[in-house]
Amino acid sequence: MNFSRWITSKQLMAPAGASPGAEAGEQEVPDRKLIESCKNGDTQAFEVLVTRHRGKVYAMIQNMIKNEADAWDLSQEVFLKVWKALPKFEARAKFSTWLYRITHNVVYDWLRKRKIESDGELEDGLLNPADIAAGARTAPSAVDRPDKALENSELGDRINAALATLNAEHRETILLREVQGFDYKEIAKVMDCSLGTVMSRLYYARKKLQTLLSDEKGEM
Amino acid sequence: MKKEKCEELYVKWVDELLSPEEEAQLATLVEETPELEGELSRIREVAEAVREGVADSVEPPYGDFFNSQLMRKVDLEIASKTPAKRAERWWQSLRWAWAPAGALALVLAFFAGQRIGKPDASAAGVVDLGKSAPAAIAELPSVYFTSDRLNADVISDADGKVAAIVVSGLDDLKDDLDLSTASLGSDLKGLPVSYLRSKARKFQ
Repeated sequence: MNFSRWITSKQLMAPAGASPGAEAGEQEVPDRKLIESCKNGDTQAFEVLVTRHRGKVYAMIQNMIKNEADAWDLSQEVFLKVWKALPKFEARAKFSTWLYRITHNVVYDWLRKRKIESDGELEDGLLNPADIAAGARTAPSAVDRPDKALENSELGDRINAALATLNAEHRETILLREVQGFDYKEIAKVMDCSLGTVMSRLYYARKKLQTLLSDEKGEM
Repeated sequence: MKKEKCEELYVKWVDELLSPEEEAQLATLVEETPELEGELSRIREVAEAVREGVADSVEPPYGDFFNSQLMRKVDLEIASKTPAKRAERWWQSLRWAWAPAGALALVLAFFAGQRIGKPDASAAGVVDLGKSAPAAIAELPSVYFTSDRLNADVISDADGKVAAIVVSGLDDLKDDLDLSTASLGSDLKGLPVSYLRSKARKFQ
């Protein structure tokens, strides 16, 4: 598929999966006001906050662990931790950075546990779907939801497959930078590392992605 | 130029965040390695593709259920914290009473230790009901006899549970009495007939 044409078709489908109220213009009450209310025990304010941010948190986790059911559970865990930690949240910090920091911790705890549990066993998450022959009897098949239609496009599949081959740190750096649009300092805060490490991870992750995608097809 | 600085320049070039000074530094690098420009351009294309190709927000399946489940957990969290917080506040309000209360506890512990060290009749597990536990006496069973020459002592432990009933005033058992082959001797003749028959059958 032609790259520019693919981009155009993607833009037409862009609203799919967008979180309601995620746009700044749609926010009736700013996050900081909701957070203040939450600190006073207002659970309704917290639910508004959850509805506003759950799409981004879920997308981030889903892109990190590639498992919908676990992503759902982990998103719940993230927001429960947010509720518990809200009294300690300082107003001068950026809520989204703090939220993604918690998400980062939850995801890495999960990855660590999963690694311990499946130590020595075949881990499905380590399989590269691209390595499975299309006609293979054991090739997994599933009907995708409509909001996954984009991922079914040729390039979308390739990008996701390439992202899946990156290690967790590189994948997270790419997702935070390219998908969530965080700046370098914010990424460093979320991932609890230095600015130099962020730069290095970003450089090598991008380079690896470029190599993977150009290896498959000479378009990039 | 250091490797870390080069990486920073490449990353910033892809993101179009280079300062004029950094642009000049990168231009020098590109002059030294002409293929670098092409490589960075391809990386920039990939970065744009990822930006466009991966959704930044995906609603979790069953969004309403997601919220209701979460809020139920939050409610449980609030419920579990509330008594603990109250207890914590109450506990903290007593912090100035800690020192005298601690001293008092030490003194009491000392005297308790002294008492435990002494031998005590109750330590044997038997209570002298006649002197120290009138309330417990009321709960103990009564023993009735047909003869007024018989007497019973009910021995109880500290909980009031009967451990033994000692009957005094009974005739001594004869030395030649063999219970396994008991016969209807003269001593058993006073018992009810049916009872005697039953016993006799059982022993046969």
